[in-house]
Amino acid sequence: MTIMIVDDSATMLMSLKTGLTLSGFKVEEANCGQAALDKLKTGVKPDLILTDINMPGMTGLELIGKIRVLPGFRFTPILTLTTESEASKRAEGKRLGATGWLVKPLAGNDLIKVIKQVLPGA
Amino acid sequence: MIDRKIRLRKIRNRLVGHAALGVICNLLAWYSLSAAQGFSLLEHWQRNIGLFFVFILLPGIFLIFTNWSQARSAVSDMWAFGQRSFEDISRELATRKAIEEDIKDAKPYINVMHNQIGDSLADSEREVMGVIEQIGILNAKANHQREHIAQSIKNGLELTANTELRVQNNKEIIAAIELQLTMQTDEFRSNFERIQGMAGEVGALTPLIKVITSIAQQTSLLALNAEIEAARAGSAGKGFSVVAFEVRKLAVASTKAAADIAEKIRATCKRVEEERVQALESLEQHEASSAMTQLVSDLGDMQVEFCKNSQLLLEVITEVDANYAESVTRLVEALGHIQFQDVMRQRMEHVQQALEQMRDHLLQLSDIANCPGWDCQFQTTFKSLLEAHLSQYKMASQTVTHLAVAGGKTDSDHSHPAIELF
Repeated sequence: MTIMIVDDSATMLMSLKTGLTLSGFKVEEANCGQAALDKLKTGVKPDLILTDINMPGMTGLELIGKIRVLPGFRFTPILTLTTESEASKRAEGKRLGATGWLVKPLAGNDLIKVIKQVLPGA
Repeated sequence: MIDRKIRLRKIRNRLVGHAALGVICNLLAWYSLSAAQGFSLLEHWQRNIGLFFVFILLPGIFLIFTNWSQARSAVSDMWAFGQRSFEDISRELATRKAIEEDIKDAKPYINVMHNQIGDSLADSEREVMGVIEQIGILNAKANHQREHIAQSIKNGLELTANTELRVQNNKEIIAAIELQLTMQTDEFRSNFERIQGMAGEVGALTPLIKVITSIAQQTSLLALNAEIEAARAGSAGKGFSVVAFEVRKLAVASTKAAADIAEKIRATCKRVEEERVQALESLEQHEASSAMTQLVSDLGDMQVEFCKNSQLLLEVITEVDANYAESVTRLVEALGHIQFQDVMRQRMEHVQQALEQMRDHLLQLSDIANCPGWDCQFQTTFKSLLEAHLSQYKMASQTVTHLAVAGGKTDSDHSHPAIELF
């Protein structure tokens, strides 16, 4: 199964990619919201999207809103992985179509458990 | 009366003169201060009109309407006060200038600290990426090993299956060889027993040789006696003498034949005995050496041992595979902890922003002091800046630290769990 990770932090991208690959997932990465959108528009079809919220340029919340209107991505699970823990931001994420809200730092195996919970076949 | 009037006029003139002198001196002092502060005399007068009345106008009026001693005392006090004021103002100006200079130096100070944090974050990020890279390399190698292990498991299973099959086949061959060896042993034993029996039978002929020899000797002796008796009988015993002679020849021939037979029987006995000894040696060697039997037995044991070791190897390989899976779990856990670096980076970036705000605010303070017409109202204060942070925090930990140090209230709600599925 393929997971797209979107984060402006190089360390986050690298650690998530390594951890997910170790756990048997194929990984697509993007260092900003626009790059993620471009990949999705060019045919990349991840089974799950894991995005940061506070990113320069397009925020994670904006990205979620734009992904949901793309054809074929209405029901793709989107999880956020962010330091943002404010309730109002969570509510906005939920309204825009996020599947879940994960707050950093999250134990590596907890992340894998949540992904497997969201993707039962994983 | 006239003298008194004249004297009073003189005093008044002197008072006016002193007052005028005082006013001029104060104006000069005022001018000097204004110039030092960079203001015009008029601006300075406007700014300090109260002081002007206190230090110049009122003393002048007072001097005009009082007597000389009081005026002199007042002028003296005023002069001393003026001098003190001048010193105080000069000191205040010097202090303010020094503070302004120091506040301006806060800019490089804060910039340095800002960049120190930035560089530390960059170092930290580089090192963390190095750690992740090493973990990636470790994983790649471990994965390579895992593939080897998987291949080894496959090969091990095949090897074990093949070995078991071969052992089963070899068991049948070994049983056939063992049977063959047993038959050979039996044959050796049978041959030996037969030769031994033959040797016994041949040995049993030896007493017969003695009997034949004894008969031949007695016959020869009897023939000799018969010849003697025939000779004593004279012509009557001639015929008997011939018979006795023939009998003695026969006895000699019998003795010789018995000797030949005895010799041949001894030779036969000797050969049979040699055959028996050789057969015995062969049997004993065949039974004692048992090298082939041992080889066959060892081969069987070796195959059993090999099967057992193959199973053990399979268990070891399976355990290594399980340990690899455990290592992967722990590596994933460690990679999760590396997210801490990103959390720390964001907190530090917030501190950097706060430092920039502090720097800008200090520079504004420095500029405001020299701004003419300033209404003594700060557009921004440290208090307002600090309070503004409360609504800017992203993490619950930031808010907790803030409230613990500075107190206050916040409308932010960070009470939700770290994992929330909608």
